[in-house]
Amino acid sequence: MSKAAPALLVLFAACRPAPVAPCPAGQLVAQVAPPPVSRPSPFDSAFRAAGAEFHVPAELLEGLGWAETRWQMVQGTEEFPGRAPAFGVMALRGAALERGAALAGVPAEATRRDPVANIRAAAALLDLYAREAGIDRTRIEAWSAVVSRYSGIELPDARAAYARQVDRALARTAASPGLAPPAAPGACPPPPATGAPDYAPAAWRSSPNFDQRAADSTGVIHLVIIHTCESNYASCWSWLVNPVSQASAHYVVSEEGSEISQLVLERNRAWHIAALYDCTLNRRHDCRLNGVQSNHFTVGIEHAGFASQDSFPDAQLEASAALVCDVTRDRDIPRDWQHIVGHGQLQPANRTDPGPHWPWIAYVHRVQALCGEIVVDDSAQFNDTAVAGAAVPTTWAASDTTPDFYGGAYRWAPTQPDATDGAVFSFRVATAGLRTVEARWTSGSNRSPLAAYAVVTAAGDTAATTTVDQRTGGGSWHLLGTWTFPAGWNRVVLRRRAPSGAVVVADAVRVSATRPASSSGGAGASTSASNRPTP
Amino acid sequence: MLRRSVSLALAALGAACPGKEERSSAREAPRVQDSTFAGTTAPVQRLRSTRAGVPAAMLRSVTAAPGRGYDRVVFELAGDSAPGYRVEYAAGPVRSCGSGDVVSVAGSERLVIHLEPARAHDDQGNPSPRQRDLVPGLPAVREVKLVCDFEGQVEWVLGLPAKQPYRVTELAGSLLLDVKQGP
Repeated sequence: MSKAAPALLVLFAACRPAPVAPCPAGQLVAQVAPPPVSRPSPFDSAFRAAGAEFHVPAELLEGLGWAETRWQMVQGTEEFPGRAPAFGVMALRGAALERGAALAGVPAEATRRDPVANIRAAAALLDLYAREAGIDRTRIEAWSAVVSRYSGIELPDARAAYARQVDRALARTAASPGLAPPAAPGACPPPPATGAPDYAPAAWRSSPNFDQRAADSTGVIHLVIIHTCESNYASCWSWLVNPVSQASAHYVVSEEGSEISQLVLERNRAWHIAALYDCTLNRRHDCRLNGVQSNHFTVGIEHAGFASQDSFPDAQLEASAALVCDVTRDRDIPRDWQHIVGHGQLQPANRTDPGPHWPWIAYVHRVQALCGEIVVDDSAQFNDTAVAGAAVPTTWAASDTTPDFYGGAYRWAPTQPDATDGAVFSFRVATAGLRTVEARWTSGSNRSPLAAYAVVTAAGDTAATTTVDQRTGGGSWHLLGTWTFPAGWNRVVLRRRAPSGAVVVADAVRVSATRPASSSGGAGASTSASNRPTP
Repeated sequence: MLRRSVSLALAALGAACPGKEERSSAREAPRVQDSTFAGTTAPVQRLRSTRAGVPAAMLRSVTAAPGRGYDRVVFELAGDSAPGYRVEYAAGPVRSCGSGDVVSVAGSERLVIHLEPARAHDDQGNPSPRQRDLVPGLPAVREVKLVCDFEGQVEWVLGLPAKQPYRVTELAGSLLLDVKQGP
């Protein structure tokens, strides 16, 4: 929990003298706190020099630079009528830029283009603000009012968010960051907003940009679409709640996963993907939806950041995976790569988000793990090798002819009366206990009506052998049974020893800590917990 | 994000350096009333890097005015920012990039200009420009409507009475889209 400390400090610093009651803990922040900024700024020497010259803490300059521009020289990128463009590392604007430049004795033009001049002008401005406020400059938390003035932000919660950003950078160098958001004496700063209707850890920021899903089957929530917003978090959600944008998403995840906003109820149709569905872009999954507007049956999740990013912060992926676990659990959506897909995959004409560096396999594994399940694919490529492994003999041919397989393909083999080469799906159980085991296949008329799965524990005991009818029910999970497994690597073996004339399909096995709320039934799982003994 | 070839992106990077000198000469350009341009009805594009952290070009204003022999739509950008662009006649329906709803405009032809990385709103969620649907009623350009401002992409559609040749001129701080008036 050490990572949570800086953010919590920020939240509660204003409350230390609160006479009545301590401030309530911020649930989301406590759960997913952003890590402090770890890399050094490229402008360290300029921050130090300007800080010394104008009696402003260098750490504060560094923190403001991080909050404003992530230490990049920006050139007039935030202009709209009535608001001057921001320039340089410190994002100086308009009159403030002119004033800082004059105080620092540098031309305004240099302040726009040269990082050293830009940082000096900002330091001179902060020096002036500190003088006017009469603060004790030796206490970092005393600078909070100055920081608020510098930010130019008027909304209190936005000011607090800004101060938290500065604090994150301060945490890198300062022993105890503490730029508290401004608060009335004795009052607590507002805790991070939570309590969104469909995902309690999220903040509810309602957007008018939605309409109703279709009442028929095309309106059933079926896919989760992953996006990047091509902007920062606040810019993303603040735009998507504006009716002018005519765009939205159900959720927006912040850069470091410290906050999620829900903008549209899941049951409503958010406006996040323009494409009409084309199943050839999604492993021929659910071709019945071809031509249907994709917003009808999807939940859209935006992520602060860019499709061109080289990587995504672990904490952002973790927060996003927890959200997707929740959505897929509530909506009974399988957690695989045709149900959790990128915007760019379904709309390749003009989108690539979330981009080539979204870690799709690890991400879906994380969603599965957070939902308490292990999925074992027939191919190592799609397995989390820490908990899942498959051994499928080469007598089982690979195929992707029939759609709705798990992972990249499936394996199949003809039944034979004397065959001994079963397909082995292994999963590691950390602590002994009850687990629900399900299997998935692709169906067809040539499949075996009595495909036999043997359940073998880590102790080497065959707990049961159950049979399923693989002629139907392809592409969804079917219950094999629930057993108590010892810790260690347990196995499910799909056998092909049976009278000739059919094929068995080894696609995937799912193991859940608890019995799933709904396992797609009706397709032929012929067993229950009262499993028949091995023949 | 627009898909692109590496070579195109590299070419764009090499060409994307409007400087102060260009800016002053560029400001003169609109005075040149060249009504004899041949133009094209084929797609025209210049793509730009969408590297992470590169700020999206900010749209400041969109205006439409008649020239001699053509109508001109000016996309003015904040500062010197220059997004990549692609201009083409729409073959099918033009859809709003969020809702996927088909967008209708005046006129029988739809000329689409796509800007990327670009945005038409600020970090506080305020639109820029606020005017997002112009009906200038010009001979060649009947309507200019914003259909996308989402995920770093901005798209406008021009409603035209006929499929006329057009040209794109890139200046420091603005893009000019000229559509020839009919005979």
